[in-house]
This record gives sequence, C-alpha cells and structure tokens, in this order.
Amino acid sequence: MTRVVVTTVVAVLALAAVRVGAHHSSAMFDDKKTVTLDGVVKEFQLTNPHSWLLVDVKGKNGKVVTWGFEAEGPSTLARAGIRPSDLRAGTKLRISGHPMKDGRPAAMWLDAVRLSDGKKFDPRAGFAVQESK
Amino acid sequence: MRRWPVRTALALLLAVPVAGCSAPNTAGEKAAGSHAPPASRIAARSKDQNRELGRQHKSAADLFEALRQEAKNGTTLEWDRLPDWSGIYTRPLKAGLAFDPDTPPGGRPTARLTPEYEKKLTARIEGVKKGIEWDPISTCAPPGMPRWLTEPFLREFIVTPKQTWLINEMVNDIRRVYTDGRAHIPEEDRYPLYNGDSIGFWDGDHLVIHTNQLQAGIYQRAHPDYSEQVETVEIWHKGDPTTLLADVWVYDPPALAEPWYVQQAYKKVDEQGGNLRIRYWNCGENQNNSVYQTKDGTTQFHDFTFDGARGAQPRGERK
Repeated sequence: MTRVVVTTVVAVLALAAVRVGAHHSSAMFDDKKTVTLDGVVKEFQLTNPHSWLLVDVKGKNGKVVTWGFEAEGPSTLARAGIRPSDLRAGTKLRISGHPMKDGRPAAMWLDAVRLSDGKKFDPRAGFAVQESK
Repeated sequence: MRRWPVRTALALLLAVPVAGCSAPNTAGEKAAGSHAPPASRIAARSKDQNRELGRQHKSAADLFEALRQEAKNGTTLEWDRLPDWSGIYTRPLKAGLAFDPDTPPGGRPTARLTPEYEKKLTARIEGVKKGIEWDPISTCAPPGMPRWLTEPFLREFIVTPKQTWLINEMVNDIRRVYTDGRAHIPEEDRYPLYNGDSIGFWDGDHLVIHTNQLQAGIYQRAHPDYSEQVETVEIWHKGDPTTLLADVWVYDPPALAEPWYVQQAYKKVDEQGGNLRIRYWNCGENQNNSVYQTKDGTTQFHDFTFDGARGAQPRGERK
C-alpha cells in the first residue's frame, strides 16, 4: 500500500520563488495586488507548459468579461489534486490571482473555491512532493 | 523493478563491449543469491571531499577517467541485476530552482565565477530585481544541460545494460547515456547540443557520466551563464529507496574559477494509484502561453485568445 507523506514546509518556502514562472518570467503580473472574482468556468485549458482556467465574470454593468487564470501544466495540477472533472464548464467559483500589470483580464492563479461545495483549489500545491514509500 | 522484455540472445550480444574500448571489470561481481548490483568501488565522499575532488582535476574528462580508474573500469550491468530506479520522480524545491540545492534562501548562486561571468551575473540579478527578466526557454527551447538537472517537473529513469535514459517530462526531454564502452564523438565532428553527448559506466549501482558537446546557456534565471566549453561529470545512485542522488561537477573554464560541485536529489512521488502519468508535452499548443521579450528586456504575453480557440503558438512573431 502506498503511504503518502506530504512534505510541505520546504515546498511552501520555495513556492514563492517559483510561482508559475517555470516557463517564463512572472514580471507581467503584479505580485503586490490580488484580484478576487466570482464567475463561471468557461473552459479549463489543460495545456503545457501552462494551463489556463477561463472564467466568465459579470461586471456591475451586466457585461460579461472572460478572465484567464494561468497555472502550471496538467501534471503539476494533478499533483495539486486538481482534475478536469473538478472545474467543468458552468462551475461557479470564487477565484484569486495576481493581475496583469497592463490591465488585461488575466492573472496568475493563486487559489479558488468551488461555490457549490466549498472545495478549495491551490494550483501551486503541485510542487509539494507527495512522496511515495 | 522495471523489467524489460528483451532478455534474448540479442541482448547478450549487445552486452559485449565495443572493441578497442575499456572493458568493464566483471571479476568478483556476482554475489551468490543476490539480484542487487555489486557494491560500488568508488569511495563514498562528503560534499566537501567531492568539492575538493573536483579541484584536483583539470577537466571533466580528467575527473571521469580518474573515477573510471578508481572503479577499475566499472562493472557490467546485467538484465537480472539492474538497480531499481523505477517510478516517477521530481526535484524538491529545496532552494527554489537554484542550481545548487544548498544555496541559502535568497542567496547568490554558490559558483565561484571568473570576473567576467561574475560581472554578467551581477547585471542579471540587478535586472531581475527590476522585472527585466527573459528566459530562453520561454519560446519553448529545451533547458539544455546542465540546467536540465534543475527543472521542477516529473522525471523517469530507464536503466538498461547498454544505455540509461534520463527523462524530464518538460518538452519530452531525454538524455541518453551510453554505457556500452563507446567513446565520445571524435573531436573534429563535435558541435554544440542541448543535452550534449553522454557516455558513462556503471560502478556497481552507481552510474558515472561524462557529458561534453554542450550549448551555452544559463543555469536558471538569476543564475550565471555557462559557455560552450561547459562539461559535466555526474555520479547517480539511490540514496534511499525513494531518493536518487546525483553528485555533479561542472567544468567551464571561461565561466567558472573552479569546478562547481553540487548534489542534486530527486524524490519518488506518489503516483495517485497509477493516475499520475507522464504525457506528451507540446510547449506550443496554447496561444495563451506565447510570450515575447519587450524592448526593455522584460517578458510580456502576446494577445490572449479567451474565446475558446486556443490555437497554436505563433512562431517567429515578435512585437
């Protein structure tokens, strides 16, 4: 039987350094700001080197804007316990991220909560080593 | 243990060392009743001793040959006595993506650089502090060796008597290590390669590798450059049942004032009941990941396509 040991302390310390920047710099994101939005999943693009969660967000004027939240690739998300079935199109959620500095509707995905059941998603947790023994 | 279906006369035939090359020493290797590889002849050394070992040799080739002599030409790896490197591994982020996992938090890379490369590193670090940061892999180039050692994704290690494949999930990146006694490509026919040319030998359950013919690159962001003269020696072995260790010596006379010794560790990860798998990695499959280098040297996304048509990443298009 596989015993799972989660060694998070080291990983948490190191995550701030890695963020989603394994493929590119994160300089385009404003890490001093965090946006939190309620919306509906439009599409979960499970792609390499980064995945994108597209979320339709209705503004105060009633206009819907699609936001893109960038995360790591599919295998890192899988290691974070995030699966395609968790965030199907139509899923309502509250999602947070560091927004783009240039104002475009995109952000570095930090965390999310599925509103139907309160399940939380931390895409960066995938870098923690869930060790097999 | 990963078992390969090829246990045939062909495999035995291929196990014959290439004529004219050093033959592995098979005397006294087999321990009766044991399926484990024989013990390593290369002495176990502390990190400080390994650092000093690097200083004692002028080049990676010299160190490799010294280790080969210490191992008495190494040992023959047999199909029924392969070391168990099966499973999926990853590199823990002990010091982020720092090339040297023993780098203090937030510390400068531990390499002793030449003045020229020290100056370039200082300029790079100052740029990163201002958000001026561009990474060559952002356009989907492979990281290249020695940076290959640092990437934080999934890895597999396929051991056979004649070749070992060191696989990084990222961009389907495979290093082939030839352990059949062949030499490097003749010097006059060498040209720079992302992962270079790797030959090696087994010393019991330790794999010793020499890599040359590498391209210039960077160890990581906010890290030094390495030149096309960079060469490495590695000793890989199991530190414990879930850890693969790699002692690494980097030689690069234009960049390094002395060989850079680091020890890398790769941890076996939980495979989630068999559902965690390594898939094909197409770095250009999503337009939304396409970035370019701005005029001031920083990194920016191209236009997004959040309309559901992710498209292919445009090639060669730079704003």
